[in-house]
Amino acid sequence: MSNFEPKILAFLCNWCSYGAADLAGVSRMEYPANIRVIRVPCSGSMSPKFILEAFRQGVDGVWVSGCHPGDCHYISGNLYARRRFQLLKNLLEYIGIEPERLHFTWISSAEAGRFQEKAKQIVEAVKKVGPANEKKKLIKELKPIA
Amino acid sequence: MGYKLLAKQEIGKLYEKLAKQYEVYAPIKKGIEVNWSKIEDLGDILFDFKNSSLSPKGLFFPQTEVMFEFKNDPKAEEGYILKEVPPLPKTRVLLNIRPCDAKAFSILDKVFMRDEDSLDVYWKDKRDKTVLIGLACNNPCNTCFCTEVNSSPFGEDGLDVLMVDLGDKLILKGITDRGNSLIEDFEEAESSVASKIDDLKKSAESKIKTKLSMGNILSREMLEVYEHSYWDRLHESCINCGACTFYCPTCHCFDIQDETKGEYGRRVRNWDTCMSWLFTHHASGHNPRGTKKHRVRQRFMHKFKYMPFKLDGDIGCVGCGRCIQVCPVNIDVRDVVNNMNK
Amino acid sequence: MLEGYTKEIREAAKRLIRDKKVDCVIGYSKGSIPLVDAPYFAYTEEECENLVWSGFCTKNLAKYLIKRLGKNALVAQGCVSRSIVGLINENQVKRENVYILGIWSPGMVDRRKVLERVGGKEIIDVKEDEEKLVVIGDGWEEEIKRKEVLRQNCYTCASRNAVLFDEFIGEKKESKGGGDIDNVAAPWEKLSIDERWEKFRETFKECIRCYACRNVCPLCYCAECFVDESRPQWCGKTQDEADVYTFHILRAFHCAGRCVDCGACESACPMGIKMRVLTSKLEKDIRNMYGYEPGMELGAIPPLSVYRPDDPENFITP
Repeated sequence: MSNFEPKILAFLCNWCSYGAADLAGVSRMEYPANIRVIRVPCSGSMSPKFILEAFRQGVDGVWVSGCHPGDCHYISGNLYARRRFQLLKNLLEYIGIEPERLHFTWISSAEAGRFQEKAKQIVEAVKKVGPANEKKKLIKELKPIA
Repeated sequence: MGYKLLAKQEIGKLYEKLAKQYEVYAPIKKGIEVNWSKIEDLGDILFDFKNSSLSPKGLFFPQTEVMFEFKNDPKAEEGYILKEVPPLPKTRVLLNIRPCDAKAFSILDKVFMRDEDSLDVYWKDKRDKTVLIGLACNNPCNTCFCTEVNSSPFGEDGLDVLMVDLGDKLILKGITDRGNSLIEDFEEAESSVASKIDDLKKSAESKIKTKLSMGNILSREMLEVYEHSYWDRLHESCINCGACTFYCPTCHCFDIQDETKGEYGRRVRNWDTCMSWLFTHHASGHNPRGTKKHRVRQRFMHKFKYMPFKLDGDIGCVGCGRCIQVCPVNIDVRDVVNNMNK
Repeated sequence: MLEGYTKEIREAAKRLIRDKKVDCVIGYSKGSIPLVDAPYFAYTEEECENLVWSGFCTKNLAKYLIKRLGKNALVAQGCVSRSIVGLINENQVKRENVYILGIWSPGMVDRRKVLERVGGKEIIDVKEDEEKLVVIGDGWEEEIKRKEVLRQNCYTCASRNAVLFDEFIGEKKESKGGGDIDNVAAPWEKLSIDERWEKFRETFKECIRCYACRNVCPLCYCAECFVDESRPQWCGKTQDEADVYTFHILRAFHCAGRCVDCGACESACPMGIKMRVLTSKLEKDIRNMYGYEPGMELGAIPPLSVYRPDDPENFITP
């Protein structure tokens, strides 16, 4: 367990959190390599389907990050998303998906340090709860019959 | 070919004999539901039940069935080469299957095993390896109408053995060679039981009050039935769910999907339903059954017109009444048939 | 069948048809089996004679208004009228195209509860009044108090009287179901994370994916449901647990802030799955966080189509 390296899928908003990741990179700020990034146009364009699909594929954690409320490139995308994320997180926790597996943050494109810090924190949280493969909640398994 | 006798307390004798050779499946009770399950304990065997909630068709035609597997890698040596799934490892017996459900299988045989060229190997494997021991219905449900669709609570179609419940004993009647060999060791019944069975049969049949008229449906031209004005009204309340088709012992439509994950790939077939718009949706975007009316009509036309036409007169309904029990909006197949016939 | 109401519905329906106020009256007719009544469409005065009102009107007739042409009258108890309000707010139904025959619901009967009560014996007939049911079988009879066999959602009903109507059938009566929804909503909240998952599995594993819950629901009017989408395919078509659960999670989530708790999904489910455990959680959160109750007010903006600067944010990783 101690050498468990989780796979974490991060959906980062093009205008802020993705920029923060980029800035962290060019600033040579190290953060764990457990994170795979998908760039999305806005946290408001995130569908709950994306998050469920990630879990179905067997990732150990999902991280969604957008602009701070009020700073959305599209004015209000993240404000609408906020209500959806709140309900979705509550619902998934309610049915037994460990809250440590699903993370949301607001990170601006200047906050490379914050990005690095959150990345470390999230990887630690997911490590603590263990591989998703153990309890196989929501994982769509395909295995040979014989 | 005589009748055999078995005291109900001694059902263990039959069970042991079966369990030696077969996996035994039977309807068992859970709450108010009766459903098919593998029997591990003699005490689970039920005689006091009407019929299982879901039909046993899933034992031959599982809701999700893997058809073959493949390696999802075109570069690998065995890449994209289809691998057969293993056949059923053990022979099975279905104990206490109702005659309507057994008849459904003999109808489906004509669909899945019509001839050498259109043989469904998945269906055939399970059919060949399964013995059906039926239990005649002494007390059909209010929603039963098997007598109106060429069957009977004591029907023998598709069965290997028919058992008749006489209260404290069972009469076993061998129907096929396979069935006869299973019951040959049991005590011979007196010849008078034949008339007793006949009486019970008549009494059971007389309890079915539903009368269906199908003369016009069968004799009219296909298009005439298809364009019946009744369809304009019937579909209104239908919500196009698939409950009727999934509970139906003779509904057999499926959808084929390829699923892959990494290097592993498989083809699965899943139950599908003509109630779903997606079922007939073409890649072009065209849908030949584009409206609810089309879809509702399809289900009844298929059972009561197309199937008799294509399957030498066999109606695609066995009168089990499950669709009447589960339809959320109470579309009653008995009313539908009588209205189609008007 | 509740005779007084039935009579009044028929009178009103006939008048509406006779005066050409509406093209069709959508209500219920007596079902062909006990404990189930059938949605019914009456176009003529003669057909109006088949309309009934009973404790078995468990569907949500608002469903039939979606994409329906012409002007229709609809018999609507509290929850159904709330669904109509929701559909009007979501621009699926035009107010002027529906004539609402508001009515009071005595609380609808859970067929499964009655069957369990009589031990699964076959029921031949049922008689009812507002207080009790008399269930009749072959050679037996049992009297059951209505309030013992109501659907779960009817105990915590927020409005048994229609909230929006053009005409009210009978008199308005006690509108609350009596129970407090906040006491029973989201029953798994107290459990540990793994217990919750076990409960979730137990609840949904029997699902046969007939989609009766989806199709009976007046909220489900998408041109293409996510389970039917194939490119990309969000939800496989198999009976694998992950596919079944994905369907139920997303179905519930799509109803967030819109579900009026009419219970049609549970009534329609042939397997007896209690899917309100999910919608009740979502609606409870919405009440607590956004102070919104669906279907109560014409013109209200659904909570997920709006935001406030100070919306709660405790989902954010601190």
